[in-house]
Amino acid sequence: MNTLTPLYLHKLPQLGEIFSFLNSGKHMNRLADHRLWAELERERDTYEMLFGALGYALRVDERGFAWFYFEEASSFVSKTTRQLALLFMLIFEFQADTGLNLGRFTDWMIDEKLLAALLEKNRILLEAEGLADRELLEQLLKTAGNYGLVTTDRHQWRLLPAVFRYLDRFEELAQARAPEGATLADTEELA
Amino acid sequence: MIQYGFQRLALLNSAGYRRAELPLDAAVSMIAPNNTGKTSLINALQFLLIVDKRRMDFGAHDVDTSRRFYFPHNSAYILLEVALPVTGTVVLGCVGRGVSHDFEYFAYKGQLDLEDYCLPDGSQVQQPQLKAHMASLNKLVFSYSSGDFAAALYGNRKKFMDQEPDFTVFKLEHASHADAFQRVLTRTLRLDKLRSAEVKDYLLAIFRRDLPDSSIDFKAEWDKAFSEVNADRAQYQAALRHRPVIDAMERQSARRLELRGRLLHSGPIIDNRLLQWQAHFEVQSIELRAAQVQIEQQQSDIQLEDRILFDKKGEAERHRQKLSETLQRQNLLNAEFALIASRTVLEQALAAQRSALETQTTLVQNASSRGVDAIRRDIESAGRERDQLQRELSTLTDNLYLHLKRVLRPEQLDALNRVMSGQTMTMSAEDFISEPEILRQWLDTAAAEADALALPGLRLSVAGLTAQHTQRSADEISQRIREIEQQLSGLQNQMLAATDLDSARNEKDRLDRLVRDIESQLFRYDEFRELVRTQDERTRLIKELGEQVSSLQAQLDHSVLSARRLVDRGRELQAQLDTLENDHRNITRLRESRCDDAPVFGSLADLPHQLWLGSMNISLDELPEALSEYQRDCEELLRLDRDLESKLVVLRAGGLTKFQFMAGSEAEIQRITEFAAQLSQEFEALERKARSAVVNVTACLRELRDGLVTFKSRMRDFNRLISRRQLSDLSVFKIEPVDEREMVEAVEQLISTAEHAQSGETFELFNHASVLDDDTLNRAKSLLIHEGEVRGCLRVEHFFRLTFVIGKNGRREESFSDMDSAASNGTVLMAKLVTGLALLHLMQNKRYNIRAICYLDEASALDQRNQLSLIETAQDFGFALIFASPTPLITARYCVPITCRNGYNYISRRSWQILEPLHQPESAGQPMSGERISEAPAQVGA
Repeated sequence: MNTLTPLYLHKLPQLGEIFSFLNSGKHMNRLADHRLWAELERERDTYEMLFGALGYALRVDERGFAWFYFEEASSFVSKTTRQLALLFMLIFEFQADTGLNLGRFTDWMIDEKLLAALLEKNRILLEAEGLADRELLEQLLKTAGNYGLVTTDRHQWRLLPAVFRYLDRFEELAQARAPEGATLADTEELA
Repeated sequence: MIQYGFQRLALLNSAGYRRAELPLDAAVSMIAPNNTGKTSLINALQFLLIVDKRRMDFGAHDVDTSRRFYFPHNSAYILLEVALPVTGTVVLGCVGRGVSHDFEYFAYKGQLDLEDYCLPDGSQVQQPQLKAHMASLNKLVFSYSSGDFAAALYGNRKKFMDQEPDFTVFKLEHASHADAFQRVLTRTLRLDKLRSAEVKDYLLAIFRRDLPDSSIDFKAEWDKAFSEVNADRAQYQAALRHRPVIDAMERQSARRLELRGRLLHSGPIIDNRLLQWQAHFEVQSIELRAAQVQIEQQQSDIQLEDRILFDKKGEAERHRQKLSETLQRQNLLNAEFALIASRTVLEQALAAQRSALETQTTLVQNASSRGVDAIRRDIESAGRERDQLQRELSTLTDNLYLHLKRVLRPEQLDALNRVMSGQTMTMSAEDFISEPEILRQWLDTAAAEADALALPGLRLSVAGLTAQHTQRSADEISQRIREIEQQLSGLQNQMLAATDLDSARNEKDRLDRLVRDIESQLFRYDEFRELVRTQDERTRLIKELGEQVSSLQAQLDHSVLSARRLVDRGRELQAQLDTLENDHRNITRLRESRCDDAPVFGSLADLPHQLWLGSMNISLDELPEALSEYQRDCEELLRLDRDLESKLVVLRAGGLTKFQFMAGSEAEIQRITEFAAQLSQEFEALERKARSAVVNVTACLRELRDGLVTFKSRMRDFNRLISRRQLSDLSVFKIEPVDEREMVEAVEQLISTAEHAQSGETFELFNHASVLDDDTLNRAKSLLIHEGEVRGCLRVEHFFRLTFVIGKNGRREESFSDMDSAASNGTVLMAKLVTGLALLHLMQNKRYNIRAICYLDEASALDQRNQLSLIETAQDFGFALIFASPTPLITARYCVPITCRNGYNYISRRSWQILEPLHQPESAGQPMSGERISEAPAQVGA
């Protein structure tokens, strides 16, 4: 038995683009990056193997997103990551309160109204993170767009499936904390 | 019941085996250490079963390398004995062809006996002699190309060779499955390598037939459905916008048809008339000119006549005038001479006066020519002569001369007469005394010589002297005396006149005038008399002349009229000629500038036109009008052509391009006008089309959705198939399709909108424009379009992914996207095997049950219970399992060790060990459905 598998580069025309896309720290979403996703999905095994051989851990989530997983990311939480986690958590909390299914977050429209409501409701929390301003929030959403977490369309945003990473984590934490009666709000530093 | 299927596999000189014989009719445990060629043995089957080199899979080795490995020379054989339901036992084989490492397929009916391949000298039969050799053993060998062999194997061989048996091994439910079947079959030989991604592919291939035409280019469908509607709508709107233009075009087009018909009709007539025109023109103009000349001639004749008449008339008038003047003269003279009775009166007066004048004249003349003295001397001289004469008269009867004459001879008298004066001669007789004799004697001597007279002492020549006295009669002397007296009175008057010469002259002048007056009077009188005499004649003449003048005048008047008529006629002719020439110029000009030489007129008859039904008889006189009308028509036609063409351009630019490339602009215009005439119907049609577009678009989406539903139901069947037997400790093992939520929802979204559209209520919601406004719909649409684009098309498989659901006893079910990560090695192995076998089972014709084999490497990872369970499952699906492991598995029927001698592997039939179960095996979990196949009679190994 031989485990060598030939690499057919002609089957990977978008290799360069996919690599720079993912390597920039961006999440690739099926809903947003159709072209790249189609190839990544089609040649998933090859890509996993190739990137793995190069030292990158390609993670592909069946729910329609992919990213490079960096081990060290979990040990170091940047300010931006923290702020994003807070923002997403507040959004999820807000929408859960209005009775929306969290799993359908890709349908949500994050508009100025929603941001205003978030600001009003969580002013203290946001002030603590230095986000108590709509413009700052918009700036943050723009950053999220750079990470492939949201798409933007004229001061309106939509969450992309990559936000499942956050949602999974929130739910995980919520489950872990639920017996102790903790709220989602306590988990932001763990995101 | 006989179990049809694979019986034995044999390798001769192939894949490192000198000779190998492997039973395939039941589960086999192949026993050999690692790397002794177990897999090679099984892979050899690919040459016989897969046939198509492209589908063979030798792992890391490519097909060419494998070919060298399996067919090193031309006595390398791969042989498979199969029991077939109809044909009976057959042998399928593959033999190397030598140095090229190529190989050839063959098959024959009969049992597989490896001794058949040995020549009497113990060597192997080589490929070239195979047929002959087998024939000598009464076995008819059929050779095949790989294509034919595959066809024979999969039962879709079209033509059979003579006596060729049916070698069909795999009968598939559907011929279209062949591809998937072979791919799965390739895998079955190595089912442990089955990967989850492949499972999806195979399942899709297997269920392809159940899925509706499942490849959908959504964007194309969408565009197709709506592009037509949108294009039609654009056409409709363009037509609506340009309605006035189209109406105008319709009118123009109709006019064009009419014009074409007319031109078509009149063109030849015009041409014909034009040909005739030149002759007509020449004839006409000659005629007219001739008439003109005639008229001119007549005019000049009339002029000439007129002149004559005029002259005549002038003459007559002058004559009459003269006569009238004469009449007047006569009247004048009549008045003058009324008192004069006759001419004599006048003549007398004239004579009197004239003599007075003469007298006076003489008087004056004489008075003026001589002086008073001279006149006085004349008076004295005349007085003396009168005295002389009176004496002579008084002595007339007795005077000297008469006395002498009687006494003397003549010649003496003559001489004396010459010398003596007259007075002497006339002396009366008293005054003289004569002695005639003495005188005569003297005279004889004195006048002896002629013409001489001699006197004493004097001699005279009298030759030159005139006679002094002539004897005259008394009458003569009295006459003479009267004359002298008259002369004297004249001289007296002269004397008077000389003394008063001026008054004498005045008197003469007066007299002269008087004479002349009278003379003229006389002349006038004569004239008068003449006039009187000719009066009657003149009166008649005057009358005649008057009549003549009036007649001439009448003639002149008449001539003026006819002259005027001639002038009129001349003008008329000139006008005709002018008209003719003008016409000719016009015609020439028009003919030279004919605009029917444009290309369009050449093909007028081929162009659509309206037949001209009006009669058209053009006389040559009407030709110019007809020609210019024809020209106008031509120009109008050209203008219409241009106009219509430019309008067409406007329409096209305006978006009405529907008919642009149909059959020329003519047809286009017609279609456009028809189209415009039916705009309301078009609108309805558009609406219908739009609705059907909506339905069409969603029809394909419905197909996709239905396909997905169908696939899911097939998957449920498939799951039932694979969960008949429990795998390992798994209470649940199933492969579940999970929706790609966004995609499925997008489809649902569109379909539900379409359902509204179909009912006609919210049609506008779905039209292209408003879809763009509807965010949800738009996202759904663009998602499907994007997905379709990047994947080439939309298929059912894009709407789900497979998850492997595994539930261990007493534990919650878990979903895995990959089979390998789902459970322990052994379990995964089993899961894959079951899945693969189920796939093949699905494809095979259930009524044509041929048992095949499947191969499981590293089989010792399974415990015995699972081994048994697998064997039974495989049996259910119609497969015999071949386990490969370093140690024997007692669950198999055969244990076959591989031995190695002199660098070659051997499997001898003699080393087969057949294991008979001591008791009927029980199913590991649930009771198996279907019959337990009874074992064939045990073969006892040597």
